[in-house]
Amino acid sequence: MTIEFIHRQSAHCESGVTANLLKHNGYSISEAMAFGIGGGLFFGYFPFIKINHLPLITFRGAPGSIFKKCASRLGVPVTSRQFRDPQRGMDALDASIAAGIPVGLQSGVYWLPYFPAALRFHFNAHNLVVYGREGDEYLISDPIIEKPVRCSSAVLERARYAKGALAPKGRMYSIGQVPGEIPLAAAIRAGIKEVATRMVKVPIPLIGVRGMRMLARHLQYWPDKFGDKQSIIHLGHLIRMQEEIGTGGGGFRFIYAAFLQEAAAVLELPRLEILAQEMTQIGDMWRRIALLGARRCKGRNSTDNTFPALAELMRECSLREEKLFRELLHVVKK
Amino acid sequence: MDTQDLEQQLKKLIIETCNIPDAPADFPSDAPLIGPESPLDLDSLDAVEVVVAVQKAYGVRIGGEDSSREVLQSVQTLAEYITKS
Repeated sequence: MTIEFIHRQSAHCESGVTANLLKHNGYSISEAMAFGIGGGLFFGYFPFIKINHLPLITFRGAPGSIFKKCASRLGVPVTSRQFRDPQRGMDALDASIAAGIPVGLQSGVYWLPYFPAALRFHFNAHNLVVYGREGDEYLISDPIIEKPVRCSSAVLERARYAKGALAPKGRMYSIGQVPGEIPLAAAIRAGIKEVATRMVKVPIPLIGVRGMRMLARHLQYWPDKFGDKQSIIHLGHLIRMQEEIGTGGGGFRFIYAAFLQEAAAVLELPRLEILAQEMTQIGDMWRRIALLGARRCKGRNSTDNTFPALAELMRECSLREEKLFRELLHVVKK
Repeated sequence: MDTQDLEQQLKKLIIETCNIPDAPADFPSDAPLIGPESPLDLDSLDAVEVVVAVQKAYGVRIGGEDSSREVLQSVQTLAEYITKS
């Protein structure tokens, strides 16, 4: 059984899967739009939560939230299920495909055979779409891979039941019928409000612009606290979280800028275009931190990539983001 | 500028930017650019350097919905991306 499904490549898996599933159901939006409506942008620094002995630093919201919020804000019904028993999980996947419904799956990247070895790592919140089955092989649209791919049932089951942090537990999801009237403008406003509130209004020092400042404070003293080798490992980890793992670069800031650009046209708010440009420049600034940090990691030290200098750049990012998100709140309230 | 010239220019830029003194004199343009099979032995931290250097030299930003993984597959894909941007 094969469902006719259009594969589109994207920078980030969850927003790509969301946009592709919506398109399959007759509503076409860009990846950036799905990301923005789903309130995908975030900053969180949780030094007490360790992944591979390194602090959790994230530039996006919780896994699964972009899909759920984007669909809900657009008024599109979704079904999401988890299965403790792998056999039941695979049977439910087969049943959906037989019913002609493409299925989004949360899965562990490490087990997916079509990923180049260099990109395989233990990340359990990767998203892909299964749109068919031929014999023992599933037909997969993985949005960060250029073309559709295939995977055997045993391996796909292993990926769906990968163990560890963010374990998918067989999670699968699909989209129901798209309603005739889509509240696009309201959905965009809701997505912007959520992100802007989280970035500047939540009085928790670990998230939003406050989280950036806390990370800057800690980063400045990593060499004193961890020693040379460990502080470089921490810095490399920050750069990877920001520039890799499907962020589209600059910690998702470039994707968010593309969303603001589109939102300006839909909401007829030209000011959002200016803010989109500012968001791109902020993304460039995050990328500068990554660039200077990468040079330090490679032992190419200079006065502009000391840990205090990198911390200072991060503080500048936080100030610019604070100004931008406060204005965004004001602009979309009107 | 034709494609071959651009590819040669990019190879030079990458080698200089990533500071690779023992780089091979030449390598195939379709060879993997990043990862263990890269003839220049570039890793993901070098990729950040390449992205920024390309933006500075050619005014082309790699990011957003354009997957940098795909663009940075090889010198050839990078040259194609610059040409079409």
